[in-house]
Amino acid sequence: MLALRLARGARPLVQLRRLLVAAASAGTGFLLLCTLGYAMGHPDASGGALLRLAWCVAPIAATVYFAVTVARTDPATKPRSGLSAVGLGPAKLSVLAAISTAVACTLGSMVALLVFLHLRGDLTGLPFDGAASELLAADQPLPVAAALTLLAVVPLTATAASAAVLRPRTAKPAKPDREQDEPARWYTRAAPGSPPSGLPWGIALLAAGLAVEGYASRSAGTSDLTLPGGLAGSPAGVLAGWALTAVGLALAGPGLTYLCGRVLQAARPGAMRLLAGRGLQEEARRIGRPLGVLCAVGSGAYAALTLYAGDRPAIGPLTTLGALLVAGCAVLTLVTVTIEAKHARADTTSALLQLGAPAAMLRGTAALRAGTLAVVIGPLTWVVAELAALPLAK
Amino acid sequence: MVAPPDNDVLWARALHVTHNGSPALTGVSLGVREGEILAVTGPRGSGKTTLLRCLCGQLLPEQGEVWFNSTPVHTMTPVVRERLRRDRFGWIDPEPHLVPELTAGENVALPLMLRGASHRESKASAREWLDRLDIGDCARKRPHALLQAQRQRVAIARALVTMPSVIFADEPTAPLHRADRAHVLRTLTTAARSHGITVVLASHDAEVAALADRTLTLLDGRRVNTVHLPGVKETEKTAERAETTETAETDEPGADGPGADEPGAAAGPARSAGSGGDSDDAEGRAACSLSV
Repeated sequence: MLALRLARGARPLVQLRRLLVAAASAGTGFLLLCTLGYAMGHPDASGGALLRLAWCVAPIAATVYFAVTVARTDPATKPRSGLSAVGLGPAKLSVLAAISTAVACTLGSMVALLVFLHLRGDLTGLPFDGAASELLAADQPLPVAAALTLLAVVPLTATAASAAVLRPRTAKPAKPDREQDEPARWYTRAAPGSPPSGLPWGIALLAAGLAVEGYASRSAGTSDLTLPGGLAGSPAGVLAGWALTAVGLALAGPGLTYLCGRVLQAARPGAMRLLAGRGLQEEARRIGRPLGVLCAVGSGAYAALTLYAGDRPAIGPLTTLGALLVAGCAVLTLVTVTIEAKHARADTTSALLQLGAPAAMLRGTAALRAGTLAVVIGPLTWVVAELAALPLAK
Repeated sequence: MVAPPDNDVLWARALHVTHNGSPALTGVSLGVREGEILAVTGPRGSGKTTLLRCLCGQLLPEQGEVWFNSTPVHTMTPVVRERLRRDRFGWIDPEPHLVPELTAGENVALPLMLRGASHRESKASAREWLDRLDIGDCARKRPHALLQAQRQRVAIARALVTMPSVIFADEPTAPLHRADRAHVLRTLTTAARSHGITVVLASHDAEVAALADRTLTLLDGRRVNTVHLPGVKETEKTAERAETTETAETDEPGADGPGADEPGAAAGPARSAGSGGDSDDAEGRAACSLSV
């Protein structure tokens, strides 16, 4: 109840974020139910149904990632002195965050179920009644247990993940993302200045992934794994390689961001370059990971576009929905994290304003940061995407 | 509107401020002379911070006037007030709000860089100020690696580096221990005196008055001449000194006499008074009797 009360009093932006989580959860739930419908409609094609279910892992992962980010950045779950005085310490607050994540995701799952039933024709009285009845196997009775199990996947995973991420840890001085409820918390927050360590691993994985992809596409074997949309040729190796590149990009994100900041503030910087560069270095851990994920998603999207550009069969609506979900979750995660970073720097910003920094300069600093990241990450994404699409497009 | 006397760098008349309806300042008038160090003392909640924020133009009084160098501050537009604050005023917070990702030296150089000075000269003068405040060896460290007293001194250096006309220090020693407190205050006042910078220093600490030219005592948003604090013997001396300080209208050349000449005597009783509680709260929470 307390979680609901706290949720009711939150600001519109926070509510919007929770609604977006619910929407993502709804989309993923709908995809899962559609695989169920396919499996019911094609009892003999269990391999295909399983493959569809496997492809749902990508939207599920994206949704859970987004939900955890929203739970982490939720202002209601930040330790507050007033709440901790009445017994709501960090531990209780992490439970609250998990509950609100569960509420949002369950809401989404319910919506997914309603839409699914509606499109099947089980619920009547609205337009598009039974619009997809034959696709979703309306002639078969819906196995309730299976549907509920599938629908519970996203809420359970997201709740468990956010509880695990937000669990109160013993406050070590070198934990970047945890903030204690100390008044001067940005001094105790991190050991700033130490670069994130994932860059070599990320680059190694990236290179390995590209190599695997190249080799796999040369062998041109056939396997049971097919891309959605019925792509002929079975690029299991290609997919494995692409997954490696994606992981590599996600790992390399923080390091790349840190490097961008470092380059930006090099060589006798003025106030703007200094603040922008150091800000990037400071926020590299926070922003870098979602940026890397977005980069991976972008390169995947580019590869998919080149792949389907030829005379391949058209992409189905469910594939589009899945792709949109993944891309949307990646973008929204980055946006959420950016907002979180902005809130975390509110103290610094007010100190700068007190020093007489014009607001235009602060905006310029933010723009400079975003511009640098775009200039560095954009071409990188493009290159990786080109390299990844090269073997696929043959 | 009466033009203020010419020799006052800051002049305020009958300031009235309420925070959400509860009165914070009720008719405070004062003048701050060029180059002097004015201590604004009083217990917690007596309106010191509000007075400082009014004087530097962060907060507009509901009634009353604030003049800076014969220009009215209370009629300025927010943009002009912001520029005034940036160019002529310095501000020191109770907590050193440093930019965490910059080193101490860069923190001090930042105001100069923001005003368009080149990287090299800002760094050089930041270095000078850090050396002057005895923290030259911290210049390359980040704020998180510094002690609180060092951070506060960095904040003071940052306020001094632009050589403003007036520095407003709002309880600059609040988070510090006693030894650091005396050191930081002495650093600030010495630097201000040697560069002719006017300082308005808010503090609930009676020791501060020893370093100031004049003391202005606030209680519940009014100026008072005497604050009789309980604790009888120990604070008697402090109260006596508060009695000898004058209101803004009349000058008293000997005001800095008792403070400056016998800092040990002033510090002694206050120290023993503070040892009972946390020294911050002892005075603030005590029941006070006043004579206006």
